[in-house]
Formats: sequence, C-alpha cells, structure tokens
Amino acid sequence: MSSRLSIRVDDLHLDYEIFEDRRAALRQRLVERKGTGRRVVPALKGVSFDARDGEAVGIVGSNGSGKSTLLSAIAGLIYPTSGEILVSDEPKLLGVGVTLIPTATGWRNIRLGCLALGMSLEELEERIHDIAAFTELGEALDRPLRTYSSGMRGRLHFAIATSVRPKILLIDEALAVGDFKFRKKSRQRIEEIVGDAGTFLLVSHSLDEVAEQCPRVLWIEEGRLRDDGPAETVIAEYEAYADSVKA
Amino acid sequence: MEPAEHDDTSGLRSINQTLTTRQYLIAMLDRWEFALEVPREQLRSEHQNTLLGNVWHLFNPILTVAVYYLIFGVVFEVNRGVDNFLVWLTIGIFAFRLTSNTVLGGANSITSNSGLIRAIRFPRALLPVSTVMSRLLTFAIELGVIAFMVVFFTNVGITSRWFLLPAVLAVHTALNLGGAFIAARLNDAFKDVQQIIPFVFRLLMYFSGVMFPIERLINALGSSSMAATVASLNPVMRIIELYRWVFLGTTYDWGGLWVTVVMAAAICWFAFRFFRAAEWRYGRA
Repeated sequence: MSSRLSIRVDDLHLDYEIFEDRRAALRQRLVERKGTGRRVVPALKGVSFDARDGEAVGIVGSNGSGKSTLLSAIAGLIYPTSGEILVSDEPKLLGVGVTLIPTATGWRNIRLGCLALGMSLEELEERIHDIAAFTELGEALDRPLRTYSSGMRGRLHFAIATSVRPKILLIDEALAVGDFKFRKKSRQRIEEIVGDAGTFLLVSHSLDEVAEQCPRVLWIEEGRLRDDGPAETVIAEYEAYADSVKA
Repeated sequence: MEPAEHDDTSGLRSINQTLTTRQYLIAMLDRWEFALEVPREQLRSEHQNTLLGNVWHLFNPILTVAVYYLIFGVVFEVNRGVDNFLVWLTIGIFAFRLTSNTVLGGANSITSNSGLIRAIRFPRALLPVSTVMSRLLTFAIELGVIAFMVVFFTNVGITSRWFLLPAVLAVHTALNLGGAFIAARLNDAFKDVQQIIPFVFRLLMYFSGVMFPIERLINALGSSSMAATVASLNPVMRIIELYRWVFLGTTYDWGGLWVTVVMAAAICWFAFRFFRAAEWRYGRA
C-alpha cells in the first residue's frame, strides 16, 4: 500500500445517553435518589479501520447498526465515548434530512453554509453562482428551505458540502434522495474528489450503488465491524446474513 | 482488519482534539464573516411577517419608552429631581434592553440553530457571538435615537464625553457576551431557562435604576445595609449610569469603576470557559 493514511479509526466506542422523561429524571434525582434516570445505549462497540488517499469505501449494515453514528463521529459532530479517530484533513459530512436554517432561503443557506465551512466572503461571492447552478434549483432558491422536498434539500446540501473540495467526503444516504440526473452529476463530482487523492465513505442501503462506487466495503452490525474487504465478498456475505435474519 | 502498526500516522490529527484557547479564537476569527452573516439574516427575518417590516427596529424601542414614560413619568411622577427625565429614562431602557435581549437571544442561539450544528463543524461560540452582534446592530439605531433626543430635547448638546462611548460599549459588550454564553449553555441543557430569563430581567430592571434613580432603592434598603452594597455593585446599573454620564453629564461614582470593568471582563472570560466546557454536547439530541 503506497498511498497515505487519511482516516484511522481505532477501537471506537460511542454510547448515547438517553433521558426518557426529563421530569421523571429530575424527580428521581432529587426525591427518590434512584440514580439519574438515564439509560446508556451503546451505538458503537469498538470499531477499527483505516482508509487511505484515493480510496472509496462503502459502509453497509442493518438499520440501527451504527453506520450513521460512525460517519458523524468521523466528521467530529459527535464525540466518541472512547477510542480514537485520526484524520488527515477536516472531513465533510453530507447527511440526509439535514435542514441547515429552515426559515432562510436557499441562497441564504448557501451563504451561511459556505461561510461556516470557513470560506471567505470574497471567495463566496466569486463562486456562489457556480454552487447555485450545480443545485439546479433555479427559482426555488428564493424560497425558504422549509418548503423544499427532501431531494431538493439533498441537492443543496451536496452542493454546499462539496463546494470547498473536501479531501475527505462522508455521505450518508444523501444521494439516494436525488433524482436520476442529479445522482449522475453528484457521482461525477465524487469521482473527481477521489481521483484527486481524496477519501470517500458512503453509507447506503442501496447495495448496487455501493458496489458500483466503492471497491472496498465495511459491514457494520450491532455496533461492531463484521467484515472489511472487497465489495463483492462483503456484500454477498451481508446479503446472506440479511436473508437468514429474515427467514 | 486491525490497523497496521507500521503505518505512518504523522500526517494525521485527532478529529476531537480540544483546541487551545488561542487555536479556538483563531478558528473563530477565520469565520468572522459567518458571525456577521447570521445576525444580518436574523435582523432581516425578524419582522419579515409584519406590515411595517424593518421599521419595527425603530418603533419597538420608541413605543417601549413611551409606555414607561407614561407610567413612571406621568402617573407616578418619578421624574421629580431628575433632569431631562425623558432622555434619562430612554438611555436606561435602551441600555438595559441591550443586555436582556442579548442574553435571551444567546439562550436560543444554540437551540434554534440545531440544524446547522448537526450538519457543519465550526466553533459553536460563534452562535452566541453572532447574537451579540445582531443586538449591537439594533442598539446602533437606538443610540442614534438617544443622540437625536440629546441634541433636540435637552440643552446638553454634543460634548467631548461622546468620545468615550466606544469604551463604555466595550465594557457593556463584554458583560453581555458573558451573559449570552452562560444562557446558551444552560438553555441547551434545560429548555426551561428561556422561560425564566424574562422574569429574572424584569426583576433586575428594578434593581438597575432604569425607571427611577438607584439612590431611591439604596435608601429604601438602608444605605449601609448588605443589600444596598450588593445593589450598588450591580454592573448593569453601573453601565447604564456610564451611558447617562456620557450623554447627560450626570454624576458618576468613579471610585467603583474598576470593579465594574473587572467584573465584566471576569464574567466574559469565565462564561467563555463555561460555554466551551460543554461544546461537545451542543446539538446532541
């Protein structure tokens, strides 16, 4: 392996703390003194893997297996309970259902999103029209984000997240919501990023899409890494498992 | 597949490394344009659904002053013994509102931007900071109203004291920033906080000499009592008095100035640390 490491995930554990009822929790704490009323739900139980420059890695697994949590943790949006995540550059995460600022227009969201990513105002003015054009949202950019369909939001967010040409791009189901034409276009942009020695992680339930874009696949089940290897082998194994669970 | 030990990890850094204060401030400065864009967006959308739109940024404070003037100036006649009562009252109300609105806005700054927080990584302190910025923008309009009133409604006129306004604003902003940081963290942990804040400030208003001179409160408490000492240290009241000195030349207790400055700076610094200590938790469901 000649290319440089870009992501190292080492024995990553991540627990969610859940307060089922805040008021009950307070009462328990103050009156009954029965603990804090919180439940710990482990989402990741010791995941380790490496990814390299120019590598496209798919992540598959059942619902609730911890795939999305893993991406959020790599993006630094959720802090791990223990373990380490090392990266060569700031990863950009693209998730489904992300709304940024619902009351602001598409244009405003592009501006705010790009500035929050650290783009300068000068650069923004220069590129905002390219970014807007990429979304193909046209007149809809003048409307508040809350009026958008999930596919439209997905496009907007994709355009923002890839506007700064990230070295590490993490995508969580977001492509699945776009229409055929936009998916083709976004695929092209991803290929550019990977070809440019970037690293790409894709979480998807569309196994065809994963197989098509990612030579390597991780399979995560119940918060643990079940397998890591060439796409065909891992996907076949996962399919066999999914069938056996169903049966 | 276990990570191979011989791989070179020298080019990598931990995504969760805690930044030093210096690095954190640099990361914030890198995004200063974002901190200005958020308030612009906020001001633009605040009165979006009203007939008069942005004019409300001017009408709202003026109407507030009119109501308080009616009650405290006309009905209760607090104005006896206070020169230029209308302007005096206006300064108190505007300066006090800057603090209370900033703290309330700060409380909502994390919770109302959860979409942005879940999608993009940036120093979260930018959100309370941008609240402070947007409130300062509206306060600029209000300062214009005060200046207008001083020139046309009083015989004080423009003085060289106005040059000290930026210094007063700086102390005031440090205090407000501190309040916004603390309220932001508390409200993220307990949404109940934003319900309580208006009552806290309504009470504080009576202890800040906004509608009647603070001396009356201190006399009522017994001028040598513990309560009176605490009341006379209130930094909000002290800052309001500074604005009045700038615009109207009222007397100011200069001996206590350093206490106010140290207090504002200390609150700001402590609050910043307090806010950052929970940074990892913001936006988590």
